[in-house]
Order: sequence, then C-alpha cells, then structure tokens
Amino acid sequence: MPAMKDVDKVEGRTDLDPVVEAYKKDIDLTLIRENLRLTVDQRFQQLMKLQQFAEDLRHAGRKVRE
Amino acid sequence: MTDFNALLRLLSGNDVEFIIVGGAAATAHGSARLTLDLDIVYRRSTENITRLVDALRPIKPYLRGAPPGLPFDWGVQTIQKGLNFTLVTTLGALDLLGEIVGGGGYEQLRPDTIEVEIAGVNCLCLNLERLIAVKRAAGRPKDLEVVAELQQINDETRQ
Repeated sequence: MPAMKDVDKVEGRTDLDPVVEAYKKDIDLTLIRENLRLTVDQRFQQLMKLQQFAEDLRHAGRKVRE
Repeated sequence: MTDFNALLRLLSGNDVEFIIVGGAAATAHGSARLTLDLDIVYRRSTENITRLVDALRPIKPYLRGAPPGLPFDWGVQTIQKGLNFTLVTTLGALDLLGEIVGGGGYEQLRPDTIEVEIAGVNCLCLNLERLIAVKRAAGRPKDLEVVAELQQINDETRQ
C-alpha cells in the first residue's frame, strides 16, 4: 500500500504532512535547479516573460473563440 | 501583466517600508510557478501609510474586481480604516497586506526577512522558512502545492 508508506515516511518529521509529501513527488526538480542557478533579479525577469507568454496565449485563445 | 520591476522601484524610491510575501517571494526563492500579482506586507505607521499612498497615487490604485465607478477614495484614511487591499493599478495587480495569516504584520515579519536586489533596488523579502510557515498556516488547498515546492527548494539549497 503506497499511501501507507508515504504516511510512515513522514511520521518522523512533524513539519511535513502526507498531502505535502504527495505533492512533492510531482514537483519538477529540474526547473527548480535551473531557477536556483539564476540571481533573484533574473528570476523576476523570467517571471515577467512568463506572464507575457501566458497573456499572449490567452489572447490567442480568445481570438480562436471569437 | 504586472510590472514587478516598476512597482518595486516605485515603492523603494518613495521609501515605503514593505516586505515581499506570497508568490513573488516564492519566485525570489526559486519557485517556478507563475504568479500574477505582487503581494506586500506594508508597515502600518502613519508615516509609512502616507508614503505608500503618495507613491501609488500616480498609478491609480483601484479595488480589483470592483465594478467601475464604485467610489474609492485612495487616501491615508482609507488605508488606516482597512487592512488588506487587493488592487489593480496601471502597473498591474498589487495586494497591500497589513497582516497575513500565521505571520502577523510588518513588525512581526521583519526579523524573518532577507534583502534581495530586484531591478536595481534592494527590497525585503520573507525568508524561505517563514514563507513556508505562513503558507502552511493559510492552509488553502492551493497553498499545499506551493508548500511542497518551497520545501523542495529548501531541501535543494541545504544539500
């Protein structure tokens, strides 16, 4: 029973809970490692580029629906 | 789109005392998640609120999601009478928080901050441990995924 193993694994660490542990398995560590190589300023510039990209996608989606 | 650079320059340039929290703080620590607004905890002193009001006036703060035309007097009294404000401005979405769940106000959070440089200005940002703690305290389902990512970042940086 994998779920029980997850619970067992976090029992020794009261700061964690099974739900967070379950989510942790799906976190893309490669993205985090890439970000940790950047300066804080570079992380914000990347965030704004991502925002712009998301906005462009929304705009494109709206045009398709119209 | 929120212009984080311009908002932070505006606040710092007007000597507003604030701490970056929320998704923007997570970004500062290396989160790969997209956040659309800037969340800050501002100091609730009269002097700071006056600086905050003066700094933001040119970017026309208005209550986010409120119907157009709703009377909203952007002034010191408004901020003093309220606490947390979710705003839209000409530079994007900005949340002004007098207090956050599990963290308290500026004075309570100040010891748990780090200084970061963004867009050429130095700003205070909630440190990773406290950010995780307040996200856990908020306890919203969407926060659990954020907590998981922040804990992964914590694990990575401790290796």
